[in-house]
Amino acid sequence: MVANKSSTSVRQRVEFFVSLGILALIAVLPTMVTNAYWQGVVIVSMYFAMLAAAWNLLAGYTGQFSLAPATFGMIGAYVTGLLSYYYGATAIVGIPAAVIVAGVIGLSLGRIVMRLRGPYLALTTLSFAEIMRLVISNSIDITRGDLGLNVPGIFQGRLAYYYMMLAVLVAIQIGLYFLLRSRGGLYLRAIRDDEIAAASRGVKIVWWKTYAFTLSAAISGLAGALYGHFAQFISPELGLLSQSGIIISMVVIGGLGTLVGPIGGAFLVYVTSEFLRDFGGYQLVVFAFLVIIFGRFFREGLWGLLRAAFGERRSLPPVVQAASE
Amino acid sequence: MPCLVIDCVSKSFGGLKALDDASFSIAAGELVGLIGPNGSGKTTLINVLSGHLACDSGRVFLDDKPISGLRPEALARLGVLRMFQLTRAFPRMSAIDNLMVAGCALGISQHEANKRARKLIEDLGLTRIMNLDAGNLSGGQLKLLEFGSCFMVPPRIALLDEPFAAVHPSLKETMAGFIRRRHAEGQTFLLVSHDMPVIIELCPRTVCMNAGKVIADETTREVLNDPVVIEAYLGEAAA
Repeated sequence: MVANKSSTSVRQRVEFFVSLGILALIAVLPTMVTNAYWQGVVIVSMYFAMLAAAWNLLAGYTGQFSLAPATFGMIGAYVTGLLSYYYGATAIVGIPAAVIVAGVIGLSLGRIVMRLRGPYLALTTLSFAEIMRLVISNSIDITRGDLGLNVPGIFQGRLAYYYMMLAVLVAIQIGLYFLLRSRGGLYLRAIRDDEIAAASRGVKIVWWKTYAFTLSAAISGLAGALYGHFAQFISPELGLLSQSGIIISMVVIGGLGTLVGPIGGAFLVYVTSEFLRDFGGYQLVVFAFLVIIFGRFFREGLWGLLRAAFGERRSLPPVVQAASE
Repeated sequence: MPCLVIDCVSKSFGGLKALDDASFSIAAGELVGLIGPNGSGKTTLINVLSGHLACDSGRVFLDDKPISGLRPEALARLGVLRMFQLTRAFPRMSAIDNLMVAGCALGISQHEANKRARKLIEDLGLTRIMNLDAGNLSGGQLKLLEFGSCFMVPPRIALLDEPFAAVHPSLKETMAGFIRRRHAEGQTFLLVSHDMPVIIELCPRTVCMNAGKVIADETTREVLNDPVVIEAYLGEAAA
């Protein structure tokens, strides 16, 4: 990694520290919010934040639009759940196994779909998501199907889960930050911006896209496994397309292709959805509408709006001046 | 010893023969101009040489090794680096990161890539915009940036497709000066251009194509005075 003062580098650093700031606020939240229900809401928000960060790595930084972000979470949850159900495996075995299995499935799928582009990639991942959900749902003898599966907990108190999820989320953010500042991060962003140009400069396109897909799947598997042990119950509903839709909306609303977007978006959307719970399915309509608005008018999401309001306004004149020279 | 050999390369798009048994070679350290009217097959040839298109028949050799059918990234790693006629950069990455992609992908460390990128940016007069996203740069600055990315690691051969098109004369001179210096150091080039004064000034030898065929391959002066070349450009009456 190299000391670099480029706009991209400074932007990434700011995003990273703002996301850590949000997580620091989350860390002190239990001193103010002692209600177990709301602590649970924040824990589930952290689960979604992990899935959103994983999907953002793929879609926001590599430009690969997968429609299966929730599916790998479901796979991770079922790996640790089934290992526990059939072999009595503890979380220490189940969680790493979930990461490995989700990563291997991601790698296998990535080898196939990463040669596809645009709508073909989206449709293939959508098919994969539905196939996986239906396989789990219909393999009643193995997975208990829609009845769901009980997963043993790890801790007694809710706060222990709270800080475990927070620690993992911080670790994921740190890992993603260092990845993005490494040569791998350069390649992923180059692929996102122009695959043909990246290839002509020597970047191994398929290899790096598959790498991003595998890493994204492994992070999602980890999130799913942690969620399974927290909720102590998993079902194929974890892999519903609507779940993927919520994850995508979190990233789009928060800020696609930014480090802070998935974190901010996940908390904002999930906590808001709790307030809208009384409206049932209509909450999804609200988020879908917001995705359309942000996709059309605010491509960098709320983070982009904040940046425009505070940072960009100050830096605009020199940027314009330098660009015009 | 030839650096690049193009041996009877053909490529068709439907019924259109874009390349028709095109053959010529480029010696190591040579700066060869490639000219021809629009639609003569110059860019198609560059696309074949850089792996962006597969040829229907014929072979291409780099340092006596066959390279036909290799993917663009593999060819870039062998030192076949190209510049696109319609500029291709990474708009959401800074100018310096744009250059660093090329350096890192070709095997140099991030630290070294950063050092070389800064030097190149200085050489190309882009210092003031080095930290700006490429999407904010002018067309000429983008051309210079893409041009620079071909030289982060000295290429075996640089394939430059219309580097001077729609570029301000001062930026054109920057690029021409850079090519001159690198050529003097022994760098091999294939330079596609419609800018005849620059071709005359830079290229000792020129290849002319028309309708996918190589119609002339001599010294630049001879090519430009060749009646077949004049006819291809200006029509039968002029020849």
